[in-house]
Amino acid sequence: MTLSIIGKSVPRPDARDKVTGGKGYPVNVRLPGMLHAKMLRSPYPHARILRIDTRAAEQLPGVKAVLTPADCPQRKYTTVYFVPTDAASMVRDMLVMSDTVRYAGQPVAAVAATSIEIAEQALELIEVEYEELPFVFDPEEAMQPGAPQLHEHAEHNIAVNPVMEFGDLEAGFAAADHVFEGVYETQRVHTCYMEPRVCVVDADGNGNFVVHSSMQHLFGLREKLAYVLGIPESRVRVIKPPYIGGGFGGKLDIGYIEPIAALLSVRANRPVRIEQTRYEDFISTARHPIKVYLKTGITKDGVFTARYAKSILDTGAHATHGAEVINVHGAFGFLLTYRCEHRKWEGYSVYTNNMVGGGYRGYGSPQACFAVESQIDEICDELNLDPIEFRRKNAHQPGDPHPFVQGMHLDTYAFDECLTRGAERIGYAQRTPANTDAGHIKRGVGFACQPLWVSGCLGFPDIYEHSGAIIKLNVDGTADLSTAAMDLGSGQITTLCQIAAEALGLPMEAVRITETADTTTVPFDAPSHASRVTYSAGNAVLAAANVAKERMLKVAGIMLEADAGDLEARDGRITVKGSPDISIAIADVVRRAESPFIQVTEDGPGPTTVEEKGTIIGLSSTAPAGNPSPASVGFVEVTVDTETGEVRVERAVYAHDLGKVINPNGAEGQVEGGFQQAIGYALMENLQFDENSGACLTGDFLDYKMPTAVEMPRSIESIFIESNEPTGPYGAKSLSEPCITVPAPAIANAIFNATGVRIRDLPITPEKILVALGKLPSE
Amino acid sequence: MKKLVQLNVNGDTHELAVNPDETLLGVLRNHLDLIGPKRGCDSGGCGCCTVHVDGKAVYSCMMYAVSAQDKNVVTIEGLGQNNDQGNGNGRELDPLQQAFIDAGAVQCGYCTCGVIMAAKELLDTVKNPDEDEIRHAIAGNLCRCTGYQKIVDAIKLAAAAV
Repeated sequence: MTLSIIGKSVPRPDARDKVTGGKGYPVNVRLPGMLHAKMLRSPYPHARILRIDTRAAEQLPGVKAVLTPADCPQRKYTTVYFVPTDAASMVRDMLVMSDTVRYAGQPVAAVAATSIEIAEQALELIEVEYEELPFVFDPEEAMQPGAPQLHEHAEHNIAVNPVMEFGDLEAGFAAADHVFEGVYETQRVHTCYMEPRVCVVDADGNGNFVVHSSMQHLFGLREKLAYVLGIPESRVRVIKPPYIGGGFGGKLDIGYIEPIAALLSVRANRPVRIEQTRYEDFISTARHPIKVYLKTGITKDGVFTARYAKSILDTGAHATHGAEVINVHGAFGFLLTYRCEHRKWEGYSVYTNNMVGGGYRGYGSPQACFAVESQIDEICDELNLDPIEFRRKNAHQPGDPHPFVQGMHLDTYAFDECLTRGAERIGYAQRTPANTDAGHIKRGVGFACQPLWVSGCLGFPDIYEHSGAIIKLNVDGTADLSTAAMDLGSGQITTLCQIAAEALGLPMEAVRITETADTTTVPFDAPSHASRVTYSAGNAVLAAANVAKERMLKVAGIMLEADAGDLEARDGRITVKGSPDISIAIADVVRRAESPFIQVTEDGPGPTTVEEKGTIIGLSSTAPAGNPSPASVGFVEVTVDTETGEVRVERAVYAHDLGKVINPNGAEGQVEGGFQQAIGYALMENLQFDENSGACLTGDFLDYKMPTAVEMPRSIESIFIESNEPTGPYGAKSLSEPCITVPAPAIANAIFNATGVRIRDLPITPEKILVALGKLPSE
Repeated sequence: MKKLVQLNVNGDTHELAVNPDETLLGVLRNHLDLIGPKRGCDSGGCGCCTVHVDGKAVYSCMMYAVSAQDKNVVTIEGLGQNNDQGNGNGRELDPLQQAFIDAGAVQCGYCTCGVIMAAKELLDTVKNPDEDEIRHAIAGNLCRCTGYQKIVDAIKLAAAAV
């Protein structure tokens, strides 16, 4: 049967509200009697709090509650939403407030008042006496004997130290014709969601909490907040915002704001709102800097014989995401990407007195991809091998055992086609050697691959991976879809409605996402992360739609005096297969199911049967059947001005096997946005801190530079390869993350192709290029 | 000490008592319940709060409300035509708003109202702008979702429609 809605660029149902003002953001939530809270933050990167005096602040008119470490629960937790707090893989080292400060900016007190201004004044009246402690900002220094210790449990400040090994590494290197070694470094960058982290928490006085927040996971916030407060989960009701102003992984953990607002709300007996400033957001979450030591053995024909890597991740003051990012980085960024018998990887997630890292699209993979894909091009250049053929030769093949999920295979895997079609589109074979251009503007082409990635988290034993949906049909032939799956902006409101409409045979505009959902009304859902929502939540929506459809066809069968199995639904009508004249509107079927026993229609009153009665509704709560891998290759064409060191990305071509495109316009939007974030990562973005105080120096958008419309290429072309994944909804697997992973090494490789200059640390600033060209002295 | 200020916003006149250091953004959101202008940074760096003051696109977080006295302020809520025919369909959208929907230029949407206001000034002043003019006109507005490509497409679409 041909599809009528899947594969079409239907407009987003949420677009009209967003272009006329945007009611649905958490930042708009106001409750009667609501107070405003602000947090006092430590100016020191490592200190012990000796004394806090809040008396003057408490006396200030308008101040309703004050919070210090002594008022906060001291039960340690992890902030990460996608695991239960007691998950074995996680490190519980966080407190809402602690007597020990481990980074500059850690909250040490908070005030709730009748206005933000009064709360800010009150903070100035709080006296804190600190005992400063020695601090360490460099993770490799932090691992040395004698370095300041941040946490009692972590010797040498190592939070986690995963090691994974396959085959016999020594034998692999012995078999190599060539061995390459290199060190690759990446910097700390911010997700830069546009809506700040904000929450309103209302403690009702009966031990219940209602929570509004800009976050990526309703149920994760419920579980974490209940854990922190030490109360049963059902006491916390998290309201689903219709949408949030971006997340990208940066809202994938409970912040300080939700527990602090909850504790202040209890003390003040009024709802409490906290909205972070942009400076506070910049020090709340970041992609971790990772230094990668790579050693690779290769035959003279360019086949991997041995691959070794050691990765040092700076997790900052607490482990949180750093305990898991390191594993995804090692596994999906390095170990599993290509075929190689002999492999070993060691990861170190290291505490420092820096801000705490967080989740960010790609989740450890961009750091690894920069190292691996840069080095492959270096190898090819050294040995005069074709970079496309090299990847092809070492790639996994369709049908190979899934290198991560046991018992599964790469049933749909079109990596080869990504390489071929992307190379063809950009004209890779026509590229010229470095410095071919006569003037000071040099042109270059480069590419990089993310050969393997996830569609959710099946196969990760500690991580949630199930979704749910409720679909309820209305008497006017429309349907309401309720789900806890969050649309962070990436379009799931649209794609999930498309999936439901296609399955039920309804027009797109007949399906809408309900705006009222919370943790008491919808089934559990894992977070919007790990490129999982279209695949996993899409499957759950499809399952719920099929349940509703079964009942819909049963009622229609009674009405049409036909067997339900002979009916099909399309364009709002149910028809007997092969007899297009025998049909009935879906609205009439639902009306019949919802009518009294005597239904009054235009033809007069008529009896109906007990079997027809009851709302046509479908419910699902289900884990997906697999974790199919997408594959992706990104190509860029750059120009490098060898006088100024400036790099411009002129054109990008991105090829991705996503199984099936649900919404082409939305899918392109994912790729184009991914390139914006990745070009910033490659060329300009860098969270910087004062080397003496640890204070953030790039706490606003005037100092933290990300690409504007002017810096972006005029053309980003997406090539979507449809391999039709059998376990996915209508053949879909995932898209979101690889498009942010591949551009940085592609750009580094293109800069090399343009100039012969190889930069191994991000961001690739004009200064670094000029130093490499010998036009500026190196420091 | 509060000051009385008379603000003309979207054709309505409001007399308000505001603190002298209150920004236009704060007054629009907190006193007038206009949620189209959004706070993204409070430091003139992101453009989410962009509104028109006497026809010019400005960051409302960088202007004191008292400075808007006797000036005409237009927010996204003031775009389009009131066309209520009692069917609940409300306002007829400005061609730019419609183009943002049609081109798929909206993702999380948090920057959208500000970008539309910046683009509106361009289309009000330049006929058939080219791609460079479009990109420079919205260079003061950050978007983290779209890579700007479909935003540029939308502005081209609207330019062709007006």
